[in-house]
Amino acid sequence: MSVERLDAEVLIVGSGAGGATTATVLAEAGFDVLVVEEGPWVEQGSVVPFSLEQMDRQYRGGGVTAAIGLPTVAYTEGRCAGGGTEVNSGLYRRAPGEIVDRWIQQYRIEDLDPDELESISSEVERELSVQPVPGGRWGEPSDRLRRGAAALGWKHDESPRWMSYPAGGTAVDGRRQSMTRTYLPRAMAAGARLITDCRIGRFEVHNGRADSATFERTVDGRPVSGVIRFRHLFVCGGAIQTPALLQRSKVRGRIGKTLAVHPTVKLAARFPDELNIPDDVPVHQVKEFAPGLSFGGSASHPGLVALSLLDNWKDHSTAVDSWRRISVYYAAISSEGRGRVQAIPGLRDPLVTYHLTARDKALLGSGLTRLAYLMLNAGAEEVFPSFRGAPIVRSGADLVGMQSRFSASKASVMTVHLCSTVPLGENTERCGADSFGRVHGLSNVFVNDASLLPDAPGVNPQGTVMALAIRNARRFVNTENPRG
Amino acid sequence: MSPLTRPAAVVASRGDDLLPRLVEPVADLVLATDLPGLAEDRRRRAATFIASRCTGLPSVMKIGVALVAALFRLLIAVPGGRLVVGFLAAHPLPLVGEYPRLIRSLGYAFIWETWPETHPDGSAE
Repeated sequence: MSVERLDAEVLIVGSGAGGATTATVLAEAGFDVLVVEEGPWVEQGSVVPFSLEQMDRQYRGGGVTAAIGLPTVAYTEGRCAGGGTEVNSGLYRRAPGEIVDRWIQQYRIEDLDPDELESISSEVERELSVQPVPGGRWGEPSDRLRRGAAALGWKHDESPRWMSYPAGGTAVDGRRQSMTRTYLPRAMAAGARLITDCRIGRFEVHNGRADSATFERTVDGRPVSGVIRFRHLFVCGGAIQTPALLQRSKVRGRIGKTLAVHPTVKLAARFPDELNIPDDVPVHQVKEFAPGLSFGGSASHPGLVALSLLDNWKDHSTAVDSWRRISVYYAAISSEGRGRVQAIPGLRDPLVTYHLTARDKALLGSGLTRLAYLMLNAGAEEVFPSFRGAPIVRSGADLVGMQSRFSASKASVMTVHLCSTVPLGENTERCGADSFGRVHGLSNVFVNDASLLPDAPGVNPQGTVMALAIRNARRFVNTENPRG
Repeated sequence: MSPLTRPAAVVASRGDDLLPRLVEPVADLVLATDLPGLAEDRRRRAATFIASRCTGLPSVMKIGVALVAALFRLLIAVPGGRLVVGFLAAHPLPLVGEYPRLIRSLGYAFIWETWPETHPDGSAE
């Protein structure tokens, strides 16, 4: 195996919402930036969204990853250039002001100005073309959710997405303005280098400074290992991989001990007419019970419809014949539970665990019941909740039985929002990094991704991640000078 | 001890060769039981897909799956073992029950994504 040696003024590990924005700010300020991404570069449009092929090429572990617990919580992580922005639904929300205010107080985050975050959010939204579906031409599954909420008088809205649309286009014509189409090309135009299919093993620390990192990658089919020397390191691998890399590098402190997620449970709703859109997701969300509980729509291609019926295959399976009349919806909660990420010597991937509290489990049950009620009011003929022993819900009278049979340990619980494994702030008893992402105890190692969020914000978090990452990168630019 | 010679690392790396051979016959059996109408070639393709996905699992999950898969593989090789596997696959026992569930999750997602008009018993017509 050959050994490669690389140098960079700033090494950025990860190219998702945090890494790509950081690279852009630093490269445009004149820093010599090298971005290293573990996954491949996959052109938007070259794989069908939410398909098994996409999971194979762009997700870690082919999309089969889970936090161990009772119940186990399945999660997904993007593993490709652009990270999660390439594979998720593209739904965008700003950081809620009241949540930011609470973070500032509880975690003692210095100089976090909500007005500055709002201003940066406006920039991000222009860069990513964040917008609602033009002319209200939503897909039918989204409109059913909207109509159900409206019938009940429940608060709901359309979440804008980072999509561009052709003139006269509908929701399914949107082109995702993810990192590979926005910030990464901008960073590279400013001189940043990007190496894909390259995994950082660990970094070396001497006297409180990191100075080099080991890596392995494949070049022309041959394994290559090597060392990257740098002046500054930004770790932006997401809320699972970032703490795992820090732990492999022997960094101590509040690292990987406070994983926060939005646990979700699902159901399949069958309507009288065909409405399924296999390769897109609804844009409406129901916020009547937010931030504790919210409802939305999931990807619903026939494979995922079958998966949603799996827990009660014997009684619910006939529905799969009418998958075109079915769409899948979720209830997501703000969890009081926490999880852990723990790197294990000798193993490539960390152990991830998550503990749902009794309140979380009860909220998942009541949330799923309310979602079923919402679906009936949206016109569903039958609702198939995804937990073992669930009845088919055909009327309001079935809801009591459904809730009484629910148990979180029998449910298929999953999440796509992972945060808070290296929270930022000056409260060192709670925080792994300072108010601008610098890891406590290290002078030149920064975290700049979802790991920094003190807890799960109750909304799609990547808007918050991008705003915070740009704010932190700008602070870095204002305090450090490029070598060149 | 070098990280590469630690027992867990050995299990995780050797699993790449061994795991498909442990998983595929059990996946085939579970799918044949659940979906009796599924054509044999489709069932084989699904079982191969399931086995390949298990190879790509994150380390900790892969070790857990390898241990349970070895138990199931052993069972279907001994007289009467298929009945035991059938029982275990039909009853959601803690921990051990996660394995047939993983097989079904991967298999059903593959079958209905690849052949969307498949009926609940696996038949295509």
